Amino acid sequence: MNRLCPWIEVDTSRETFRHDRNDARSSFGPVLALCGMLFASPAPAQRLQALIDAAPERSVLRVPAGIWDGNIELRKKLSIVGDQGTVIRGSGQGSTVTILADSCRLEGCIVERSGGMLAQEDAGILVKSSGNVLVNNELRDVLFGVYLFASHDNIIDSNRIRGRKELELGARGSGMHLWNSRGNSLKGNRVEDVRDGIYMQYANRTMIEGNDISGVRYGLHYMYADSNVFVGNVFRKNVAGAAVMYSRDIVIRRNMFIHNRGFASYGILFQDCHGITADSNIVADNVVGLFFEASSDNVFRHNIIAQNDVALTMFQNAERNVFTENTFVDNLSPITVIGRSTSTRWSEGTQGNFWSSYDGYDLDQDGIGDVPARIQNVFQYLEGQVPNLRLFLYSPAAQALSRATSAFPVLDMSKEFDRYPLMRPFDNRLLMQAYAATEARTKSEAVQQRPSLPVLSGLVVAFGVVTLLPFRFIKRRKMN
Amino acid sequence: MVLEIARQELTIALRNRWTLIIALIFGVLLVSISYVGMLSEGFSGVQTFTRTTSSIMNLVLYLVPLFGLIAGTVAFTGDRGSTELLYAQPLSRSTVAFGKILGVQASIAVSTFGGFLCGAVVIAVGNGVSGIGRYAAMVGFALLLSQIFVGISFCISVIAHRTSKAFGIALGAWFFFVLLYDLLAIGLGLVLRGSSVNMAIFLSLFGNPVDIVRVATLLLLENASSFGVAGAALQRFLGGSEVSVLVLVLSLFVWVAMPIILALRALRRQDL
Repeated sequence: MNRLCPWIEVDTSRETFRHDRNDARSSFGPVLALCGMLFASPAPAQRLQALIDAAPERSVLRVPAGIWDGNIELRKKLSIVGDQGTVIRGSGQGSTVTILADSCRLEGCIVERSGGMLAQEDAGILVKSSGNVLVNNELRDVLFGVYLFASHDNIIDSNRIRGRKELELGARGSGMHLWNSRGNSLKGNRVEDVRDGIYMQYANRTMIEGNDISGVRYGLHYMYADSNVFVGNVFRKNVAGAAVMYSRDIVIRRNMFIHNRGFASYGILFQDCHGITADSNIVADNVVGLFFEASSDNVFRHNIIAQNDVALTMFQNAERNVFTENTFVDNLSPITVIGRSTSTRWSEGTQGNFWSSYDGYDLDQDGIGDVPARIQNVFQYLEGQVPNLRLFLYSPAAQALSRATSAFPVLDMSKEFDRYPLMRPFDNRLLMQAYAATEARTKSEAVQQRPSLPVLSGLVVAFGVVTLLPFRFIKRRKMN
Repeated sequence: MVLEIARQELTIALRNRWTLIIALIFGVLLVSISYVGMLSEGFSGVQTFTRTTSSIMNLVLYLVPLFGLIAGTVAFTGDRGSTELLYAQPLSRSTVAFGKILGVQASIAVSTFGGFLCGAVVIAVGNGVSGIGRYAAMVGFALLLSQIFVGISFCISVIAHRTSKAFGIALGAWFFFVLLYDLLAIGLGLVLRGSSVNMAIFLSLFGNPVDIVRVATLLLLENASSFGVAGAALQRFLGGSEVSVLVLVLSLFVWVAMPIILALRALRRQDL
């Protein structure tokens, strides 16, 4: 019985071990002696594996606060529950925690210092069995966060995962990596500073809910994974929000893809995806909001697509997608079509979308514009043909071209029309509230970004010279 | 002596009320843009500054060249008698011309700066001073652009001595630089094929100070991502994100000097 929590009385002194473990033998003799009594191990009794080996199967192992040496392996069904400040520190090689038995539980632990080999899946927690529960853990200084390797029906709930910020993006691992794993649930996790927030390959029937992923390369990197559900996740400030490839039958509801602003970046990329339903998502402030290549028969409803540089980029091979009752607000360009035209349906029945750029009218007051909304202007059409023309963005010439489209309809080469444009945006108040809360959080976390020093100082000097010169003259004039 | 003439020119410009009118127009437009920008904060909260920036940038791109040309043309061709008197003095022509240019540049700088100051006050009162560095960069670009167009207007006044003719050419120049040039460049981009397109589009930017200011402002204030792939390509072409802004700013300084040098050379050979 004493083996489950034998060292509660020496908790406080263990804290000091953290900095100088080599010295521990001489300075902490009493602690050592106590530890030595219980286990004949040369290390200062911090090895968690010994505890695990000693615990009976199906028991609950409560690990008190302190630093515990890993790596550990769970080869039998066991629950490990950490106290506040229970740290499982890896050896720096391999995965810190490896779960090999089914139905294990790891709760409330801080897991750190995994190995650094991408090819060997060195993770904070490597799971190779099924039906496990990982709750409320904090993973830090790990290559991969949680790695599910052919591992089914696990619950990964409310963990916090931080990768190695000092590494290049490409040299880091994923936050949650699912490979050949089915029926898992990822819920309420927070992921930062890894390569891909969630990576899924051959992972069907996954429930992904309420995760918050920021500061990574792809928030979601996803291929060959069908029948998954995404609800209420936030992908923000990543190089790219989500890349969804070679998959079908996905439900994406009430997620936010915001502030993803790398080069050639996007809120969501769909490549070879079919039968996706996206409902009530916010796609805002991305370089490209939604990107479609060879993705057909997807339905987008009630989404808010706002303030992206380009709201939609579509290849000609993206066919029969349907957009209804979406809100397109303040995008610099609503759509770039690569190719001639898409067979996208911009309305279903008599419900189109709301376009903030729509300049038509509604004489019969039925809430639907009487003139079809022209989605692209000439400049945006040309931009689809020669991408580098985008350098003329905001230029008076580009604006003149867009005005010219409405003045001279002959110029209109684009075939994208919304025949039933809504006069008012679809009322999605709850979504807007959630968005406001996320924005407040993002703002509070933000580090002030400044233009680089040499550029700024150069400008300041130029500014000073040009402005101060005349003031000297004015003073003298008054004296005369 | 150059400074004496410049001071006299500045005095004339300030008394002329052109400076005041330009400053007032700028001030009113900037204040209203900033105010509306703050009102629309209700939707986003974070991105507004970018939208405000782009609106102000539009203002700069259209009006600053126009005001620079108008003020310059008025000053250089307005009062023929006094100009002839000055040229009759025992001074070299370049001294006189250079002094006049300096004076006009100073006056237009004062009015541009004054207008932007009004906008800055509104933004600072409403939003705090966090974005003020970006705003200052914008003001810097506007000032550079106004100086460039003062130089161009001097060029015009050397070619056309009569005020009416000079105004006609100035309006033409404004139309060319603000609108026509870009349309031609876009047309060129569509006509050319293959890899020469990119080179042509990138190089065409340097032929027009308005384009340089637009691209440099966007690169500096919104980073290149708003240009998408084109922005990345441009930065690689110019050699890195910071270098490219520096290159663009330097080319603006070249644009300030070039028309003046050309006009001075023409003036030296001219029979007044």
